[in-house]
Amino acid sequence: MDNIVLTIDNKKISCPAGTSILQAAIQNDIKIPHLCYHPDLKPFGACRLCLVEDEQSGRLMASCVTPVAADMTLLTDTARILSHRRNIVRLMIAEHPESCIVCSKGNRCHLRWAAAQMGIGETDLYSMPNYKPLEQANPFIIRDLSKCILCGKCIRADHELVVVGAIDYNLRGFESRPATVHEQGLERSNCTFCGTCVSMCPTGALSAKSSQYVGSPATESFSICGFCGVGCSLAMGQSTGKVIDVNPAHLANSVNKATLCVRGHFAHDFLNSPRRLIAPMMPKEKEDETTEMAPVSWDEALDQVANRLRQIKEESGPQSVAFLGSSKCSNEENYLIQKIARVLIGTNNVDNGGYVSGQFLSTILDQKTGGGCRPAPFGDLATADIIVVLGADPNHSLPVVSYYLKRAAKNGVPLVVIDPRKTDLVSFASLWLPIKPQSDLELINALAALLHETNDYDSEFIDRYAEGFSLFTYALSSLDTEKVCRMTGLQMQQMKTMAALLKEKRIAFVIGHGILQQRYGVHTLGAILNLSLMSGSLGKPGAGIYILARENNQNGAMDMGTIPDLLPGRMPIAEDSNRKTWEKNWGIKISPDPGLNMGRVIEAAESGQIKALYIMGENPLRSLPQPQRVKAALENLEFVVVQDILDSEIVNLADVVLPGAATSEKGGSFTNLEGRIQSFAPVVTPPGKAKPDWEILDLLAARLGTSAAYGSLEKIRDEIRRLVPAYADLNGSATAWVKPSSPMAVFGASDAHEMISFSPVVSTADEPADRDYPITAILGSLRYHLGSGTRTSVSQRIQDFDHVGNAAISKTDAEELKLKDGDTVKIKTRWGEIKRKVDCSNRIAAGQLFVPLAVNANDAMNLIDLTDLSEPSSTGWKTCAVKITKA
Amino acid sequence: MKPPEIDWDQIYGIIEKYKGEKWGLIPLLQEVQEHAGYIPPESIDPIAEALNLYPAEVQGVITFYSGFALEPKGKYVLRVCRGTACHVKGSRSVLRLMQKELELKEGETSPDYQFTLETVACLGACFLAPTMMINRDYFGKLSPTKVSSLLGEYQKK
Repeated sequence: MDNIVLTIDNKKISCPAGTSILQAAIQNDIKIPHLCYHPDLKPFGACRLCLVEDEQSGRLMASCVTPVAADMTLLTDTARILSHRRNIVRLMIAEHPESCIVCSKGNRCHLRWAAAQMGIGETDLYSMPNYKPLEQANPFIIRDLSKCILCGKCIRADHELVVVGAIDYNLRGFESRPATVHEQGLERSNCTFCGTCVSMCPTGALSAKSSQYVGSPATESFSICGFCGVGCSLAMGQSTGKVIDVNPAHLANSVNKATLCVRGHFAHDFLNSPRRLIAPMMPKEKEDETTEMAPVSWDEALDQVANRLRQIKEESGPQSVAFLGSSKCSNEENYLIQKIARVLIGTNNVDNGGYVSGQFLSTILDQKTGGGCRPAPFGDLATADIIVVLGADPNHSLPVVSYYLKRAAKNGVPLVVIDPRKTDLVSFASLWLPIKPQSDLELINALAALLHETNDYDSEFIDRYAEGFSLFTYALSSLDTEKVCRMTGLQMQQMKTMAALLKEKRIAFVIGHGILQQRYGVHTLGAILNLSLMSGSLGKPGAGIYILARENNQNGAMDMGTIPDLLPGRMPIAEDSNRKTWEKNWGIKISPDPGLNMGRVIEAAESGQIKALYIMGENPLRSLPQPQRVKAALENLEFVVVQDILDSEIVNLADVVLPGAATSEKGGSFTNLEGRIQSFAPVVTPPGKAKPDWEILDLLAARLGTSAAYGSLEKIRDEIRRLVPAYADLNGSATAWVKPSSPMAVFGASDAHEMISFSPVVSTADEPADRDYPITAILGSLRYHLGSGTRTSVSQRIQDFDHVGNAAISKTDAEELKLKDGDTVKIKTRWGEIKRKVDCSNRIAAGQLFVPLAVNANDAMNLIDLTDLSEPSSTGWKTCAVKITKA
Repeated sequence: MKPPEIDWDQIYGIIEKYKGEKWGLIPLLQEVQEHAGYIPPESIDPIAEALNLYPAEVQGVITFYSGFALEPKGKYVLRVCRGTACHVKGSRSVLRLMQKELELKEGETSPDYQFTLETVACLGACFLAPTMMINRDYFGKLSPTKVSSLLGEYQKK
């Protein structure tokens, strides 16, 4: 685009055509006051504070909505402009209530700042405050619209950034205010409480609600959100050593920019919970011979851990010890814990909570593509040809991902949603295929067959980058289309419509837990990869496979080798060359036998094969199926160490409790679902005697006989950088990326030459429905909780929210069972039974039931069984056959 | 008394006609109001869904224009002109008389949903001052007797 040269305040500047005057000024460090402008929002021109004067014509114009023109000469602070600006602010203040002294916005109020800048104390105008009732029925946001200046930032953020549409202007003139439909409270609207509007509001009209008075933050510093796999950049405000306020960090290159979700914005009050662990503890016998957890010194606790682990290793061998690293802890911490397991104990029994989310399934893609599916920046989705969302409800599970998808769809990118439920995303979709649970594999195969039939595939791409196409198409030709229709519950026409949409397009697949936790997940991912190859969708931005990660560092924990069969850098342990590399790196012998994953560790604890378990930042009692069975297995262990931040059920089973630190209390780095490695520094110090987890591990390693302790985060990073090529850029900055290193030709490296092979076409058995358990329950998340809800359920705000996690049942089934909204039902499976209230919903099909996870101590886990997700015998953890009876 | 029943089938028919046509919001609202006498708040959600708008956006448009109402109106909407010319010609007395006869204040609807009394800034028929409209009909050069007889006439209709 052509550059335009203009003069602002006698400074000659040049900028691309189409830039607004305000943007051009900001880029050149010329300060123009403004209230309604925000770089991420479309210009609006509401506040008129950004007036500038054209020197030639004398015209005044709002610089945010006026594009630059050649040879403009502009002035930004003439007496005339200042007088206008003063009048605008005077009018705003005249309508504003005189409550600045008690307003929680305090010195962060932009209106107050503007008034102060212009020296406006008394307005000398007739004061006309526009009193509106204070709205604070919900525990998250206080709306005091008396203080609203109608800048429209909240409305624009709601429409343009998070694409929810909960509010818009209502009424006109003096009466005009942002409002929900029917002027109901936010809690009764479709507001998702992402709080983006709160962070943007220039005045005290919108503020975060706190359960107690917390004052204004003394300092604000950067951190990364420790909840979901998106890894949003946060600006955390602290006062007296406590995090009291969270806002998006507004970094230009961050994944979330100006947005957040309800968890990131409001659930961080869990950090100040009285249930935080603040001192190391060990069970002590009391006078009446019962035992009770009592605080001990760090030395006593760590000595005990080291001695017992060493003793058990000597008595029963290294394979009798297992470690659980954490999908919530940092890369550095996961690297350390797996190194302790492999080097100091000598076992591959090390896994992390990503197992629960089916994270390990992505090894299938890693193997096939040589890790070529990472990095996968979500920003590229804006330019996608077509987006296909499979088994994911990101509006709840990963809200910031849903913003990306909805924005793309609103800008005209076709969006296809394949989901049994009518999720919120469906209203943005070009096509929704209400598929029966667990049948995605059949659909994907059928789509490949349809595209092959009409010759709508990229043969040039296939010739260059893939192998095994003829065998693949031969297998496709034998697909039984009738069976596909029967199993998916879809009509042939629906599949044809979708195939037509995919024609000649590079596809971006967004894959959620509906695939990763289902029974045939491995094969489904293979089929998705086949379709990506056929359509030539790999190796291009805005196309390919985007895997959603439930927890903040699921990917990083895997990269660091906190997984039984992978060494750091996701190197399969089964390969001799990988083991040799790491044997050299660490100077030890590594067993070629893959260790036990999280599920198998529990089985081995039951059988007595495992005798000691070190758990860091995981809560298997809450996150794994069959909690009673898991509890019995853990009780069967000789020695359990729990290193965690919150007091929970599992602490009572521990022989030693070590208090760790939450994200905001330590330094480290997380790798998000895109492959972004984000480092962070502590915002506050850990509570009480708690220590950063890497420090605890480092101290333990010293006691277990390592030659030299690291002593600092930088030294750990140094080793990771040196030994894990994908992490060569881990440099302590907020944005580094996983380095791509795929040997596949399609991913572009100059010496890369390998072809990706098509996966075999697998068709699953058409099993009859279980008569005793006729309904299929789908287990899924709600946005108010993350994962199993260990942290979010401790948040006072989340507790105060009247959100009960009702199960959703179709109206047809409700009628048959004579159920109405709010009735309690018993939900029974072969494995267990829970009670839930139900909502009758038209978003779910007959024969299906949606059961939210994380609520009621994640009791939904009683419904499924603890078979190994990676085994063909697994029934999957996403769905289960249930019987419903009225309680 | 209750306002007249709404024929929802017909409203859904109107909405269906504009499905997917964002530009058609205002004509759609006009048609709904023409049909039901007002825009039933319950129709906001289906309208928004059909036009792919947010319900709050639709509400914003409705409440922006004084011509749209979210509350049921009488069978006859009386709009008394309060423009300058009519004011000079005594429209204040016309309004007072109507308020007295109908026992309604400005903006109110009679319990039997026969009349709604409103005022407007100018009807653009100053040569007929003082004027008013009853639904779509103009009445000019009003006098107390003319107002009384008109009200009597419409009371029976």
